[in-house]
Amino acid sequence: MELALKDIRRHLGKFLATIAGVAMLLAIVLVMNGIYRGNIEDGVWLIESIGADLWVVERGRGGPFNEPSRMPLDSTKSVAATPGVARASSLVLYTAQRELGGGSQQFTIVGYDVFGGAGGPGRLVEGRAIAAPRYEMVADRKLGLRLGASVPLGGDAYTVVGITGGAVDSGGNPLVYLSLPDAQKVQYEQDDRALTAARAANLQRLRKAGYSEDQAARVLPLLSAAAPGINAVLVTLAPGAHEQEVARNIRDWLYFNVYTTGEERDLMLEGRLSRASAVLGLFRSLLVLVSIVIIALIVYVLTIEKIRSIATLKLIGAPNSVIVRLILTQSMLLTLSSFALAYGLRAVIAPGFPRTLAFTTQETAVTFAVMLAGGVIASFMAIWHALRTPPQLALGG
Amino acid sequence: MPVLDIRDVSQTFGEGEQAVHALKPTSLSVEAGELVALLGPSGSGKSTLLLAISLIQPPTTGRIVIDGQTLYDNGRTGIDERAFRLRKVGFIFQQHNLIPFLTAQENVALMLQLNGVRRQEAARRARELMGYLEIGHRAGSLPARLSGGEQQRVAIGRALANEPTLILADEPTAALDTERGAKVMALLRRIARERRSAVIAVTHDHRMIEGFDTVYHLDDGRLARVDRAAVGGRGEGAA
Repeated sequence: MELALKDIRRHLGKFLATIAGVAMLLAIVLVMNGIYRGNIEDGVWLIESIGADLWVVERGRGGPFNEPSRMPLDSTKSVAATPGVARASSLVLYTAQRELGGGSQQFTIVGYDVFGGAGGPGRLVEGRAIAAPRYEMVADRKLGLRLGASVPLGGDAYTVVGITGGAVDSGGNPLVYLSLPDAQKVQYEQDDRALTAARAANLQRLRKAGYSEDQAARVLPLLSAAAPGINAVLVTLAPGAHEQEVARNIRDWLYFNVYTTGEERDLMLEGRLSRASAVLGLFRSLLVLVSIVIIALIVYVLTIEKIRSIATLKLIGAPNSVIVRLILTQSMLLTLSSFALAYGLRAVIAPGFPRTLAFTTQETAVTFAVMLAGGVIASFMAIWHALRTPPQLALGG
Repeated sequence: MPVLDIRDVSQTFGEGEQAVHALKPTSLSVEAGELVALLGPSGSGKSTLLLAISLIQPPTTGRIVIDGQTLYDNGRTGIDERAFRLRKVGFIFQQHNLIPFLTAQENVALMLQLNGVRRQEAARRARELMGYLEIGHRAGSLPARLSGGEQQRVAIGRALANEPTLILADEPTAALDTERGAKVMALLRRIARERRSAVIAVTHDHRMIEGFDTVYHLDDGRLARVDRAAVGGRGEGAA
């Protein structure tokens, strides 16, 4: 006679409610796994998607992702002239917060050389990449823009020619791709009031320095013009070129920092992502621990509720195996059913989740194994208690 | 040959000056089909004697022989005490102690299945037994939906399922009114006669003394046979 199933049938509502509760907790654990892995995948996606052979950034900087890197526009030409470089492409990268699609949204603008340069849109799901030198954009669908929409940015309007799915930066912000000059214009564009204020401040400084009105008027345009720069130069190596040798030449002769894609990826993992990953990993571990403790307590309480029946079984002579099977079956059913339901809940939660959730079979399997082990350990605690219960307890009035 | 034969069985808890002699050296012999009542005030050693006989709490000294088999001899047990209880002993409790998530029939069939009887055969025999106990119509009911008397009949059915040679009952009628108590006593008597089982019942219920063949009185751990007529109807206070 399967006592465990008979007991569950008798208390079906309670058992199902318990499974639902534990499943919700386990679903959070699984989603946390997804957030953890998604955070890493998002963080390195742009680096890997661009796939440059070398990343050239400002000297002494770990840019362009971990810290700002500012370089003169003509750096690209210098890099391109280095032996072993097949092509050098400018890249502009910055975060913006603007009115888009009817609301204020944060996104990252990627400006790239649209005529065959590296850094163009990946994960294009609709439309095409930018083909015109100006006023076209590719946006991620997270921004809620439609193909063909005209989007005002700064003083100009840009036509959405392509939509990407899951093109995000390391913080999960959606990407907007613009041509290099457009990206620079949006970045450096100032409104009239700011321009007037800057002009007045410069004029005052020139006067204090002893410039006459006429001299100041001639020098002023030179001071006011913001020199647009870039954030990185992406290098495609010529066939047969030695990566480290080219990197050394750029480093030594052009006085820039140079990273391979692998090194750039490591910088991201050890820098910006490390703390977030550590926090998420800690939360994930704590959630797993809490889940196991809760499962253990539920199994223990389920056993305690039956302790008089267990004492009766022992008194009438039922072997220990009957009691062990009763507890273990319920514990395993609780754990397995909860995990299965949590797995289903995860599938429901994932599509609408505001951040990328990335799941790996290995992590899911490890979580399952840990939960199963927790369920077994919880069962052993309950079994230990049950087997220590004196049969005399059944005689108590 | 008696079904139960115990010689100089005693139970002592603790040691030295702290020692409590819950049961003084006691001898008792019960024949097949005999109904024995154990009377005595609370703490007199009645339950201790039952626990010792069933080897749930083996005695400190003495010898216990059931069905010709020596189960205990001054500290030595040569058997698996749980398997012995499963095959040879039936228990009836004051609070019935039915498994609450099993139906009446499943409670009875459980004993058979624990003894290795196949599910369908166990169900058939359980139904038969419940018919014998006149509760066949409640076979599919959970214990919580049965009256006290019906629960006690199911408990008796469970105790009888394996056709034990010895039935140990702890206050089998205490939770029942006089009429239902009398019916349970009549049933125990019928079982003892028809199935040749020895029944030892701890009781405070002097209303039921008439139903027993032999009456023993336990006081301060000492067992003494008493005249049934002398105690019948004498109030001794409930536990």
